[in-house]
Amino acid sequence: MAEEKSKVIDNRPGWIASINPWVLRVVNNPERVAFVLHRVTGILMALIIMAHIFVTGTPAHTGWEAWVEEINKAQGFSLVTLYFFFFAGIAWFHGLNGIRLLLVEFFGVCIGKPEKPKPPYIAPSLKACQRKLLYLVFLLWPILWAITGYIVFFK
Amino acid sequence: MTFDPQAATRTPPKKVIFRIKRYDPEKDKTWWEEYEVETYRGMTVLDALLKIKEEIDHTIVMRYSCRMGVCGSCGMVINGMPRLACQTQISEVASEAKPVIELEPLKNYPVIKDLLTDFTKFFNKHRSVKPYLIRKNKEEVEKGDAEFLMTPEEHKELYEYTLCIACGLCYSACPVAASDERFLGPQALAYVWRYVSDPRDEAWKERLEAVDVEEGPWSCHYAASCSAVCPKMVDPGAAIQRLRSVLIKYKLGLFKKKTAKKAVIPKEQVKPKKPLPPESKLVEGVDIEALDKAPVEIPVEELIS
Ligand code: HEM
Ligand code: SF4
Ligand code: FES
Repeated sequence: MAEEKSKVIDNRPGWIASINPWVLRVVNNPERVAFVLHRVTGILMALIIMAHIFVTGTPAHTGWEAWVEEINKAQGFSLVTLYFFFFAGIAWFHGLNGIRLLLVEFFGVCIGKPEKPKPPYIAPSLKACQRKLLYLVFLLWPILWAITGYIVFFK
Repeated sequence: MTFDPQAATRTPPKKVIFRIKRYDPEKDKTWWEEYEVETYRGMTVLDALLKIKEEIDHTIVMRYSCRMGVCGSCGMVINGMPRLACQTQISEVASEAKPVIELEPLKNYPVIKDLLTDFTKFFNKHRSVKPYLIRKNKEEVEKGDAEFLMTPEEHKELYEYTLCIACGLCYSACPVAASDERFLGPQALAYVWRYVSDPRDEAWKERLEAVDVEEGPWSCHYAASCSAVCPKMVDPGAAIQRLRSVLIKYKLGLFKKKTAKKAVIPKEQVKPKKPLPPESKLVEGVDIEALDKAPVEIPVEELIS
């Protein structure tokens, strides 16, 4: 036994932590949910843009007018409108939360001021205006998504 | 971390089940084990663990030292959240409805045995950011007779960040560190900001340039879990955002730190330092065996007089 090296476990959750905010159940931390949603929506948009370029390249062979007309006709619940609706949801969250992240990560604002710890010991950045902006994102997101859905499906 | 100052005054459930994630490195085996513990008011998770170790199962391994939230060695995942075991009241994490507490070793660290994790890499990252005051004139520090002044306002700006006890909970909570082992992590980066923003430190340029790498603040995505779990309210998440925005300004040539103030000799008389006797310095090359035969006697009385 003496020579044998004991094993250790690598206890990192890995990429799962990027798609599951509840790998840990950290309290008072909606930012983590936003982090996961932002990452997932960003990656989905990158994938969708590739598909988008591929699809919008097709009419080059079949004629643009007919294609544009067909897209304009898309109404009610079809594969095309459902896809638009799905994309709108992704884009609204990523865009809205992206503005918040730009303020926080690049300008270093909205994260409060350092303070002396006192009960109940909540870190300043978790009660600063970025948190209010986050709640605003979670409020505006479904509203704007629903409005886009209305336009996509019924207008 | 949010603390409820009233928690210690509440009575926890009379009996609490501890579900502990065990790991035996010799058999390379992981399993969950349950222990029932009788509680009392004011009992912490660490108290319960020690009780289990004393009365039920001596083989449980964990790390602790101060048992009062100062040394930072008893971090573990308690009911899914990284916490200090000694600072967590049973009444905070167990209820009559669910008298169960789940304990796991900290995530993002290699597990040596049971709840014991290996902090070597974490401390190496801490070391790599040079967590100490750097002055251009080394003598000022080495001589130790002068004071480096700052205003109370300047002190307030960085006081929060000086409270870190290197418990590593923030690193354990970080979803970036979960997949990228190279990431310096909240603790080390908060330390970089603590010294970059310190009006007495003169190495801000070197610090900013050293941290302008992929594993530096650029890798942070502000999930803010670090700030949510920190038991000392250090707010490492905010420190990283400040560091990053200053780094952006610096790279655009828009940031210049105020030059540090000169060190001043205090006006009051400084007592000349007495040199320590050679035996009191336990440096490399000390002959422990020889010391065993003739125990060291540090002339404490003489030194403090
Ligand atoms: C309104 C427009 C947009 C804004 C304001 C925005 C903002 C941001 C910001 C601030 C980040 C950094 C987030 C972080 O550090 O965690 C980010 C990440 C990202 N964005 Fe966007 N973005 C926008 C549009 C897009 C589009 C159109 C795409 C798809 C091509 C996209 C794909 C991504 C991806 C893949 C990431 C990386 C996600 C991660 O690593 O977590 N974004 N975005
Ligand atoms: S910043 Fe807070 S959580 Fe991180 S090591 Fe320091 S005291 Fe622990
Ligand atoms: S034992 Fe020292 S912090 Fe818990």
